[in-house]
Amino acid sequence: MIESIVFWLLAILTAPFFSAIILKIKAFFGGKKGPPLLINYYTLIKLFKKGSVYSNSTTSVFKLGPIISLCTAITVLMFLPIAGHDPIFSFNGDIIFVLYLMGLGRFFTIAAAMDTASPFEGMGAAREAYFPIICEATTFMILILFFRLTGELQLSAYFSGESTIGLWNSTGAPMLFVVIAFFIILLTENSRVPVDDPATHLELTMIHEVMVLDHSGPDFALIELGSFCKLFFYSTIVSRLILPFDLGVPGLGLFVVGLFIVYIAVGVTESVIARYRMDKVPQFVLTSFALAFFATIITLEFIK
Amino acid sequence: MSQFFISILIILIGGFLSLVLSQHVKLAKSVAVFSISAGCLWGLIDVVTKLLQSVSGAAAFKFLNVFSLSFQIDGLSAFFLTAIFAICLLATIYSFHYMDHDQSSVKITANYFFYSLLIISMALVVTASNIITFMLSWEIMSLSSFFLVIYNHHSAENRKAGFLYFVFSHVGAMFIFAAFGIIYGYTGSFGFGSMESLPEIAKILVFIFTFIGFGSKAGVFPFHIWLPHAHPAAPSHISAVMSGVMIKTGIYGILRIYMLLDFHTPLFGNIVLVFGAISGVLGVVYALGQHDLKRLLAYHSVENIGIILIGLGIGMIGVSSGNPLMAVLGFSGGILHVLNHSIFKSLLFMGAGMVLHKTGSRSIDALGGLIKSMKITGTTFIIGSLAISGLPPFNGFVGEFLIYIGSFKGVALENWAFAMSIFAIISLAVIGGLALACFTKVVGVVFQGEPRTKAAENVDEKGSTMLTSMIILAGACTIIGIFPSVFIQMSIKAVSSLGLGLSSVPFAPFEQMASNITHSALIFLVVVLFVIAVRSFFYRGKIVTKSGTWGCGFTQPTVKMQYTGSSYASFILDFFKPVAPLEEDHPKITGRFPEKTHYKSHVNDIAELHMGTIIVRPILFLFDKLRWIQHGDIHLYIGYILLAIVLLLFFI
Repeated sequence: MIESIVFWLLAILTAPFFSAIILKIKAFFGGKKGPPLLINYYTLIKLFKKGSVYSNSTTSVFKLGPIISLCTAITVLMFLPIAGHDPIFSFNGDIIFVLYLMGLGRFFTIAAAMDTASPFEGMGAAREAYFPIICEATTFMILILFFRLTGELQLSAYFSGESTIGLWNSTGAPMLFVVIAFFIILLTENSRVPVDDPATHLELTMIHEVMVLDHSGPDFALIELGSFCKLFFYSTIVSRLILPFDLGVPGLGLFVVGLFIVYIAVGVTESVIARYRMDKVPQFVLTSFALAFFATIITLEFIK
Repeated sequence: MSQFFISILIILIGGFLSLVLSQHVKLAKSVAVFSISAGCLWGLIDVVTKLLQSVSGAAAFKFLNVFSLSFQIDGLSAFFLTAIFAICLLATIYSFHYMDHDQSSVKITANYFFYSLLIISMALVVTASNIITFMLSWEIMSLSSFFLVIYNHHSAENRKAGFLYFVFSHVGAMFIFAAFGIIYGYTGSFGFGSMESLPEIAKILVFIFTFIGFGSKAGVFPFHIWLPHAHPAAPSHISAVMSGVMIKTGIYGILRIYMLLDFHTPLFGNIVLVFGAISGVLGVVYALGQHDLKRLLAYHSVENIGIILIGLGIGMIGVSSGNPLMAVLGFSGGILHVLNHSIFKSLLFMGAGMVLHKTGSRSIDALGGLIKSMKITGTTFIIGSLAISGLPPFNGFVGEFLIYIGSFKGVALENWAFAMSIFAIISLAVIGGLALACFTKVVGVVFQGEPRTKAAENVDEKGSTMLTSMIILAGACTIIGIFPSVFIQMSIKAVSSLGLGLSSVPFAPFEQMASNITHSALIFLVVVLFVIAVRSFFYRGKIVTKSGTWGCGFTQPTVKMQYTGSSYASFILDFFKPVAPLEEDHPKITGRFPEKTHYKSHVNDIAELHMGTIIVRPILFLFDKLRWIQHGDIHLYIGYILLAIVLLLFFI
C-alpha cells in the first residue's frame, strides 16, 4: 500500500519531467538546443506565483473546470499499476470507472470553455467533444480483447505483477496492433500532432489549447499539471505493453526505459508529421478502431 | 394491497375535486396538488417497504359481473410503482407554480383531472394481472395522456402532435390486442398465468407483436416518431411524467411478457438488444441535431430506452446461454436505469420547463448565459446532464456500469452471444460519448456564455415548488450515484421476481460492486476537496481581476459571434450523415453588395422521413379504394351490423 502511494506520488511529480522530453526531441529535430528538461516545473512554479484574470462572461463553472480536470487525472492514476506494482485502489470493473471519470473531466473542460462565450473556445470544445467518441469505442474494443485474454476487467489484472498482456507473450502479434491503436488514442486524447498541434500560433487550428485560452495563473497550472498526468497515464499503459517485465529494481528501470520510448515516439511523431486537416482526423482515429477490432478477431484463433 | 388502493383513491379524489371546484381555480389547484401528492407519497412509502421486504399482494374484483379485474404487486411491479409514485409526486409539486402563468380555469382543472387519471392508470398497468385489466388500464393511460398532450390545443402544431401520438398509441395497442388475441385463442383464458403453455411459434409471434406494441409506447426506434412531437407539446410537468415514467410502462410490458412466456430463445435477446442499440445511438444522434430544448430531451428518451433495452437484451442472452450472473447483471442494470432515467429525465424536463417559463423560448440557439441569473436551475440542470451522460459520481453511471459488466460476461461466450456482447459494449461506449457531446452543447449554449437574444436577458427564477422539486431530484441523482447499494438491491428484488430460475440471486457480489462504486466516488470527492483547498491556498492574497474574454486580438466581440448549438453539433452530425441527413437552407452571399442572408438547418429523422413513403402512402392508397364502403347511408350501415352478426353466428 505504502509502495503504491509512493509510486502514485512519483507519477504525479515526474509527469512534467517526461513531457519535457517531447520538447527536447522536437528541438533536436529542428536543429535547436531546446528548453531545459525541467522547463515544465519552472512553468508551473511561475504560474502558481501569479494571480488570475477572469472573463466577465464566466461563472463558477469556469473555475471548476481546472479543478475537476486535474482531479480526474490524478484519481485515475490511483487505479493504474505503475511499473507493475499494484495500484492504490483496484476492483472488478475499475477500468470502466476510470474511463467514465475521464469523461467527467472532459465534460468540465468543455463546460469551462463554453463559459467564456468565445467563438474560438466553442470551436475547440466541439472538436474536443467529437474525437474522443471514436477513441472510447477503440478503448472498449481493446478492453474486449483484454477480457478475452485474462477474463478480468481491472487494470491491475492487465498491467501488474506477472503480466499476461504484452508484446513478448504468446499473444504478442495481435498486441502489436493494440500498441499502435493505443498510441493513436494517446495522441488524440492528449491533443498531440497529428490530431492537434499544441504549439501552433493560430487559434482556429487548435483543439485543447484554444479551450484553455482564458485560464490564467494557478488555474492554468492545474490544467497543465492535469494534462501532464493524463499523458503519463496513457504512456504508462503503452510502456507496460511494450516492455511487460517485472523484475524488481531492473523492472522499474525497464519501465522508465519504456516511458522514454513512448515520449520519444511522441516527439518524433510530432517532428516528422504535420497536423492533419480537421476533417481527416476522424479517419486517422478510426484506424485505431480497425486495428483493435482486427486484433480481437485474430486473438479469437489464438485462444482456441 | 389495501394501502395501494387507498393511495389510488386519494389521487383520484384530487382529480375529481379539481373538476368540481373549477369555478375557484386557486382552490381547485391547491386541493388537487395537495391530494395527488399526498396519494403519491402514501403509495411510495407503501411500495418501497413492500419491495424491500419482498412482500407481494393480490386482489380481484368483478366488473359488470362479466369481467374479473385482478391486481397483483410483485417485485417488478413494486419497482416500477416506486418510479411512478416518486416522479409523479415531485412533478405534482412542481406543477403548482408552473401552472401559474395559465389563466384558463377549464384548462387547469381539466389538466389535473387527466393528470390524476394518468397516474392511476400507470399504477394499474403495472399491477394488472390479467389481460382485461391490463388493456383497460393501458387504454385509460393512452387516452388521458393524449388529452394532456393537447393541453395547448390552440396551436395547430400541438394538435398535430396530439394526433400523431393518438395514432401511434392506438396502432401500438392494436398490436398488443393481436398478441393477446393469440394468447386467448390458445388458452381460452384472460389470465396471465397460462401463457407458458403456448406452442413455441405462438410465443415468438406474441413476443414480436408485443415488442412492437410496447416499443411504440416506449419510443423504440423506428416506432418513436410520436415522441419528439408529443413531449414538447405537453406542459413541462407532463413531459417529465410522460418521458420519465409513462414510456417505461412499455419496458414493463416487454419484461412482463418475457417473464410470462417463460421461453428462453436467444432470438428474443438478440431482437431486444439490436433494437436497443439502434435506438440508443440514433436517439442521441438526432438529439444532437435538435434546436428545440424539449425536443432534444425527447430524443434522449429514445436513447435511454435504448440503453435500458441493451441491458434487458444482455439479460435475455444471459438466460438463454445459461449464464445467470450475466442475466442478473443485464436485467438489474436495465431495470435500475429505468429508475435512474426517470429521475434525471424529469429533472431535465423540469429545468427546461423553468427556462421556457421564464424566457418564453425553447430554442437553444436563442438562449445563453442563463446560469448567472438562474443559479439553482442551472446547477441542477448540470447535475442532470452529468447523470444522463452516465458520468460518475451520479446515478446514470451505476446502471450503465452494471450493463457493461454484464456485457463483458458475454464476451467470454461463443458465436452469437459473443458478437452481440461486443455490439452492446461498443454501442454503449459510442452512446456515452455522444451523450456527453450533446449535453455539453445544451449546458454550454443554454446556460453559459452570454444571452443571445433579448428573451434570455434579465430573467429570474421564482416558484419555490418548482425549485424544490428540482433540488430533490438533483439530490437523488447524487445520492444514488454515490450510495447505490439500496437501489441495486431494489432492482435485484425486481429481477428475482422475474422467475427465470434466478430466485436465489446472491446479493453479495452486487453488494461488493455497490461498495466499490461508493468508495471510488468518495475517493474522487476527497481528491476534489483537497485540490480545492490547494487552489484556494495558491490564491491567497493574489490579485484577481475581471476583464473581457480573450478575442484573439479582436476587441469588439458581440454575442452573435458565440458558437451556436448548431455549429457545435455540425462536426459530429457530418459523421453520421447517412443516418441523419441534414437539410440546410442557406442562400449564398454573392455580389459586391450582398443581400441579407440566413441559415436554417434541420436534421431529418430517417424513420419519420420514410414512414410517409413506405407505410402511410400505401395504406392511404388501399383505403382510398375501399372508400365506397363508407357511403353515408345509415340503413346500409345497420345492414352491415346485421350481416356481421349473422356471419359470426356461423363461426361461434
